[in-house]
Parts: sequence; structure tokens; C-alpha cells
Amino acid sequence: MDAQPLVRMEKISKHFPGVLALDNVDFEVYPGEILGFMGENGAGKSTLVKILSGVYSKDQGTIWWQGKPVEIHSPHEAQDVGITTIYQELALVPHLSVAENIFLNREPRRISQIGLVDFGKQERMAEQIMADLGLKLPGNRLVKQLTVAAQQMVEIAKAISRNANLILMDEPTSALSSREVSALFDLMRRLKEKGVSVVFISHRLEEILTVVDRIIVMRDGRRVGTLQREEATQASIIRMMVGREVGLFPKQEAKIGEPVLEVRGLAGNNGVKDVSLTVRKGEIVGLAGLIGAGRTEVARLVCGADHLTSGTLLIDGKEVKIDNPRDAVSSGIGWVPEDRKQHGLVLGMTVKENITLAILRRISNMLGAVGAADERDISNNFIKALSISTPGMDQTVRNLSGGNQQKVVLAKWLAARPKLLIMDEPTRGIDVGAKAEVHALMSRLAQDGIGILMISSEMPEIMGMSDRVFVMCQGRVTGEFERGHLDQEEIMTCATKFLALDAVVEPAADDRPTPRYI
Amino acid sequence: MKTSAVTTQPRVGPGGTVRGWFKHTEVVLFLVIVLLMVLGGIANPRFLGIENLKIMTRDIAILGIASVGVGFVILTGGIDLSVGSIIGLGGVMSAYFMMKWGLPIWLSIILTLGLGFLIGLYHGTFVTKLHMHGFLITLVTMGLARGAILVITNAFPITGLPYGFNAIGQGYLFNLIPIPVLICIGVGGVSYYLLRYSYIGRQIYAAGGNSEAARFSGVNVDARVSLTYIISVMCASTVGIIQAARMSLGHPGAGEGYELLAITACILGGVSFMGGEGGVPGMLIGAILIGTLQNEMVMVNINPYWHKIVISLVLLAAVTFDYVRRQRRT
Repeated sequence: MDAQPLVRMEKISKHFPGVLALDNVDFEVYPGEILGFMGENGAGKSTLVKILSGVYSKDQGTIWWQGKPVEIHSPHEAQDVGITTIYQELALVPHLSVAENIFLNREPRRISQIGLVDFGKQERMAEQIMADLGLKLPGNRLVKQLTVAAQQMVEIAKAISRNANLILMDEPTSALSSREVSALFDLMRRLKEKGVSVVFISHRLEEILTVVDRIIVMRDGRRVGTLQREEATQASIIRMMVGREVGLFPKQEAKIGEPVLEVRGLAGNNGVKDVSLTVRKGEIVGLAGLIGAGRTEVARLVCGADHLTSGTLLIDGKEVKIDNPRDAVSSGIGWVPEDRKQHGLVLGMTVKENITLAILRRISNMLGAVGAADERDISNNFIKALSISTPGMDQTVRNLSGGNQQKVVLAKWLAARPKLLIMDEPTRGIDVGAKAEVHALMSRLAQDGIGILMISSEMPEIMGMSDRVFVMCQGRVTGEFERGHLDQEEIMTCATKFLALDAVVEPAADDRPTPRYI
Repeated sequence: MKTSAVTTQPRVGPGGTVRGWFKHTEVVLFLVIVLLMVLGGIANPRFLGIENLKIMTRDIAILGIASVGVGFVILTGGIDLSVGSIIGLGGVMSAYFMMKWGLPIWLSIILTLGLGFLIGLYHGTFVTKLHMHGFLITLVTMGLARGAILVITNAFPITGLPYGFNAIGQGYLFNLIPIPVLICIGVGGVSYYLLRYSYIGRQIYAAGGNSEAARFSGVNVDARVSLTYIISVMCASTVGIIQAARMSLGHPGAGEGYELLAITACILGGVSFMGGEGGVPGMLIGAILIGTLQNEMVMVNINPYWHKIVISLVLLAAVTFDYVRRQRRT
């Protein structure tokens, strides 16, 4: 393509604390093009899209719009330029009509001075815009009565009515049925005919190939390749997404013993369907998959945070009933959660108090008094053993770095002497040095005979640390691999093994947990 | 790093430096109380006289008991608005049991406290099982209890309480220390032990600081939260009994507006409205300050209509301080 790009981003870099999210990335979209934007979780796709739509600011680099340099500081400025983003969480007002949403804040006025809205004209204009896009929706229908797919269409119509030239879509198909996906693709093609460009992030390889003109692949914050549609196959995309050196985090040899956790036919109302897996003493079992594949949900079922609808759990070969997290803790299960600030730590408490939180009863005397000496000894031991860097055990956990906070969570569970440790993204958001320490520690724990179930979205971590890997997609286990037979491309293939879409449509929006009002 | 560790740790013993001392809410409040005493003594010498001190310490003790009770709930991030109505109900019910049912003093007290236990349990159940905010369910009780008082008493005080009962509110130890002060020391002492040294207290702090993390660590968060609501209502019932004994009657209007005083004392004493931070010494010092302030306003002849405004402004200042401190941290 030799035409001038609609938008060109040059040498874009973006740092987050401890992470280089984007490293000198070039990116371009041509007019009237449907661009597929691919990569693993954390490859930097969403970050780049958010810079383009003004949500994040870039550290370095230039953005050219139709050949002219532009600065985009906010989503509002992006819209003024002609860039609109359709997010996974839709940004419509549910209690207003389709037409009211499309013309929100730009309503056609009857008598402009008094500000009366001309509702009839507004509805006709809205229906006209949608008709141009091949949509038949009544303009007076309330948005909350529409399906998610139709709401997405309304958002797109709204964008078009604001003269958007570039529409960014971050996983727009994740909640749609296959019929709805093909309707969306039809709409995308019509947008293309009108000269509008679409950037489309998705993990569903099959469907992306049916609609895109070109694919850009990201990995570890870098652009690793571009494929024209003709040359793109699922295999070639996966190879680009995962092709990297492995062996950064070797797990030390550990003696593998009897099964400590056996899960049979586990299913829950959180989307987990018929999951069976085993973790043995001394074994690190990796649970791989894309975000939303249901891995954390499996952990939540095992930990008693969510309720299982069927299936059995066995600890040390004996069936256990886990109704709440207390049962899990007393069965010897420890959970190092993904979001340590929300689920792992009491930030306002001290290092000491957090470390002993799960064993308070054990170190209390008959009058319920917590044994101060025991508490000090235990805390000191773990501060030393895990080399937690803190001014003292009475330091508030809030004041520690991410890596040290993670070690405090670990210390809390180690103090409880668990049989099974579930670690959800154990090294997310901590720096490289601390990462290596956590990995070394995991090896040591395995050598001590603890079974570890490790959920990770980082392929090198999965490849390096796991004795065995289960891959999940859409709440099911879609693959199992032994150490020595681990293959990144095969794992990625299993992780994107989406079933025929219509079969897995969830009862959609109504099934989401209702927000809790205070 | 080091200084912020001190400010965020009101429960840990003060650091060595004088400046470190001033970072503690309790120390600052103590100085304010001393200042109030000196000013009051200058304005009206009778303010520091033994007779007034007896009255004042009794008032403070009564407020202290209610404050410690509601303080438990605030530690978990909740609130108990029913304090005032429960005080009224506690007084009326103990009088009712004695005078209408003719029960002995001890049994009337036990029944009244038992009723408090049940009401607290019902608050706790709504809060933990329905995930209702304590604000709502205790607001309901605030109205219900006051209404029940009116139905039971027909809006007339129940009079003629036995002498032995009245000693609870009017008596002195060694003719010097009011009985309510002894009760307050007892309640405060047990509460201090519970919160400072026992695992139950630690779990209450954890539930208030981060209930999710506490739950996933195996803490029975629902039981701990329910316990705080029970403690709160039982403390308020105790205050109701003391008030009735002090007035020698079960008054249907007793305790009106008392929740404002008790909550103010807690927030003033450094109990964070977000939960997880604060302690019994702070709650009690907050109560001492409010009690001193109230007494002083009487002794220096400030128009009583202004009292509530002054107390509310103190609450505003304390809450503002709490929020500002929190914002600076994030």
C-alpha cells in the first residue's frame, strides 16, 4: 500500500512502573482499511489503542493524522480529531432512547434559544444514520432494552454521526453470538465502503481472518510483524505471537509425590464448565489461557469464594466440602490472589499482622490473646526467609513495594503451612529482580512438598516453571501438556480453541452480578 | 517513609521524639482537654470544684460506654444510628420489667441486656447476610425502638424505681468515684483487651481494613461484624439502664440525639470512618473531650440552643481531618 496512512504512529514508547509497555512501536492505519491487531495478553495492544484514543499519554513518539502531527490528550480530543473507541463496557446511557444516545449533548433544537429538543426530528435523523449503515432500529427504543450487539451498533452509529474516520474496537465480539458477529462484520465492511477505517482487537483467530485486510502482531511491547490477509493463517499468527526465547525461569528439580488436589468435573455459576485436574506434592501445575478463560474462576471455586454447582474436590485423596474460604484454609489451601491489594492484604495493617492473619487462632492462648512472642518470631523468620525488605515488622504494608507486598502475602500462607498453594499471576506488576526471587521461592516450596497451582498469562513463566500445564478456554480445559512436551504454539492454539459461538452464548447482560449499593 | 509509618499506626506505641508524640491523635486531644479545663476553671472556678467534677465524670463515663460500643461498629466500616433510641429503650424496658412485671433488679438488667443482644444480632444479620449497610438497618431500629418506647409507656415516664437500682446511676465508690465511671472503666478495659490483644480484635481490624482479604485468609468476617453490632447495642442498653437509675425513672425521651455524641467522640478519637483504624483509648479520650465541652458550655452559660451546633462543628472538624489524612495518603 502506497497511499498516505490515515494515522501513523512513530516510535511510540510507554512506561508503567516497573514495565516497559510499549517499546518504540510504529503503527499505521490506511483509509478504508480493516486492521486486525493481535498479540497475547500484555503484549501492548490495549496500551497503544488507549494512547491513540487519548486515555493514556505517550512517553515518546509522534502521531501523524492525515500527514499532520497531532497531540491527543483526552478521549474528547481524539473524538474531535475523528477517532472513536468502542469499549467492551459500553458507554451508553441505558435509560435513554437510541436517538437520545446518538445525539447526546448535540440534540436538534426546536427553538434554539429556549432549548426545547425536537424529539421527532432527532428520531428521524437517528434512524437515517442507522439506515445508512444497514441497521433497522427504532430511534425511540430505550437502549437498555437492546441486546449487547445492538448496543454496539448504536455506539458505532453514534461515532459515525460525529464524523469519525477511525473506529477502534477492543474485543468487540467477546459477548456476541455468531449471528451477531457476522452482522457486526457486515457493518464493518459497510464502514469500509464509506472510507472509514476500523482497528479491531480480538483473540478469535478464525473470525478475524474473515474480515481484516491486514494484521499487525505485537509481542512484549514491540511490533513483531505485519501480515497481509492473503499470507495470514492461524498458524502464522500464533507463531508470531509467541515466538520468543524460553528458559528464563527454570524450575528446580523436586520430588513429585501423591496427588494433593484432585478436581473432578468442577463446574460453577461463574462460567467454569467440567474442569478436571490434579496437582501432586512437589509439582507446579501451570494453568494457561487468555484473560477471561476461567482460570481465576477455577481458583475461586477451589478456595470457596464462589459456589460450585457440580463436581468434587479431593485433598490428599479425601473428598472435602468447601463452602467458604474458611473451609479452604482449614483444608490446607492457600491462595495468593491476582489482585493482592484487594484480596490478599490488609494494607493499613503491619507486616507482622498480615503475616499472622491466617494463623491467629493457632498462636492465641485460652483467653484469646495473640501470643506476642510467637507472632514476632514467625514474622522475623519469614521476613528473613523471604528477604522481605522492610524497616521492620511493624511497618504498614501500604508502604512496601509491590514485590515485597507479594512476599508478605506468600509469607502469610507459608505460615499457615498449606498443602496446596494457588498462585494467581504470582509475578504480575513486580519488578524483574523480585520476579526471579518469587520463582526461586516457588521452586523451593515445591521441593518442600507443597503442590502449587500457578495461573499465569505470561508464556515464559508457564513454560519455565510448570511441570504440567492445563490450558483453558471459555471455562473448559482445552489442553494438557507434560513438561518436556511443552510447546508455545500448541498452548496458544488450545487457548484460542473457541467453540462454535452460538453454543456458548451466556444468558448475556442479565446474568452479570448486580452491583452492590451502599 | 519512616514518619508516614508513624502517622498510619495510631495503635502502635508512640515514637521517641516529642514531635512523634504530636502525631498521635490521643496526645493532641489530651492537650485540648487540658486547655478546656484551664479555660473553664478561669471562667468559672466552680467548674473544677469537686461537685462539678463528680457530675462531669459521670456524664463522660456514660458517653464513654456508648462511644466504645459504636466504635466497634465503626472499626468494621459500619455505623450504628440506633444508639440514642436503644438508650431510651434500655431505660424504659428495665423500668418496665421491674415496675410492671415486678421482676427483681438483677433479672430486669439481664433481660434488658438480652434484648440488646437480640437487637444487635438482628442488625448484624442484615448487615452480613443481606450485605445491607449498617446505616439503613440501624436507621430502621432508631425509629422502631423509639416508637416501641412510646407504645409501651404511653409517653409517660415509668417512675418509682427501687433504691438499689438507682444506685447504679447515682452511687459512689468511697463517696467519691461515681458508679458509672467504674462501669465505664470495666467496659473500656474489656474492650481494650479484646481489640488490642485478642485474635478476635485483630480479626475485627482486618475485617474493617479489607474484608475480602480477611475472608480469604479464613477469618469469619460475618461473625466478627455481627459481634460488633451486638456489642454496640449492648453498650447502649447499659447506658440506658444507667440513665434510668440516675433519673430514678424510665423516661421515654432518654438518649435522644445521643448517637451524634457517641459517633463524634469516636471520630474525634481517631477511629476512621472507613474502618480498620482506631482504638479504645481514642474513643474514650474523644468522649472525655465531648463531655468536658458539654459541661463547660453549661458552666460558662452558653445558650443551650447553641450546644448542638458546637458539637456538630466538632464532628465536622474531626471528619474533615480524617478524610484529608486519607487523601494525602493516596
